[in-house]
Amino acid sequence: MNVASDIEATFKLLLIGDSGTGKSSLLLRFTDDAWLQPDEVAATIGVDFKVKTMEINEKKYKLTIWDTAGQERFRTLTSSYYRGAQGVIMVYDVTQRESFDHLTTWFNELDTYSSNPSWKEGEAFAKRMGTLFIEASAKTRAGVKEAFLEVVRKIIETPDLYQKPAGNRAPTNVVNLDAQNENAEGGGCC
Amino acid sequence: MTANEKVPFLLDLQTTSSQDEIAAIRSLYQKELQSNKVNPQTKFDYAYTLIKSGLKKDHEAGLQLLHELYKENPARRRECLYYLSIGNYKLANYVEARKFNEILLQIEPRNAQSLKLRELIDNRVRTDGLVGMAIVGGVVAAASIALAAFFGSSKKP
Repeated sequence: MNVASDIEATFKLLLIGDSGTGKSSLLLRFTDDAWLQPDEVAATIGVDFKVKTMEINEKKYKLTIWDTAGQERFRTLTSSYYRGAQGVIMVYDVTQRESFDHLTTWFNELDTYSSNPSWKEGEAFAKRMGTLFIEASAKTRAGVKEAFLEVVRKIIETPDLYQKPAGNRAPTNVVNLDAQNENAEGGGCC
Repeated sequence: MTANEKVPFLLDLQTTSSQDEIAAIRSLYQKELQSNKVNPQTKFDYAYTLIKSGLKKDHEAGLQLLHELYKENPARRRECLYYLSIGNYKLANYVEARKFNEILLQIEPRNAQSLKLRELIDNRVRTDGLVGMAIVGGVVAAASIALAAFFGSSKKP
């Protein structure tokens, strides 16, 4: 039996946000249900990548998730991976106010590098509709699956995102995710 | 699950920088070089763009830049080690590739990207080793056939 034929659609998701906010930890929790102590985690070099299949309404979706390095030094490299993404998860740390303030910079970054005019509409849309905010903890699992599920649901609801030929795609669904780090049990947001 | 999905996936090995990308960053780097004001960021961007190229001569040039950056810029050593290993892997210098990656793993034993790279290097060395054995085995087989033929013919009157 061919497993690939069961896949309803393949989506490209991006994880962006400041260095140390926990993008890789969230992804590791989501794909492997694992958690590493902060001193065991190495900062991502450039871009890392994981694949996960998700079932929604009895349909299978393949997620290719691009985990970018938050460090400034990788900006040129990571921005080249923005194209063709249907969903973006912006991560900040509830204990680091700065990482929240920088979300504007990350929005602009997407605007510049996704080099797609309809992204502006997407951003406006996200702002108008109220971007999804989900508080999650990679350490306790809380909210992690929900965050990814929410993005994927939004993509499914917007067939234009994935039924157009590649290249015309613009990421219009943005989920702002605040990754509560291990010091911030129950921290609030927004 | 296909066989491919079992092999660790490293984005830096699967994506190739275009000649346009390389030309753009090269011209910026050379401009900075001429005015004697090389920004380490430009040099680093140029180096990994070269490492991600599809051409061997670019990989070699990228490795050269990374060696320089490693010495000039201690703060960037981890990423230099990583791309030094990737570049050597692409050039099939597996001993060198392993050497740089192992140094990085000594510093960061749980670095997931580096652990994937280790597995890829080990896989490749194992596969290439087996191919080597098969060739040697083939030669041995051919030699015994030749000997058999020789002895066979010597028995003829």
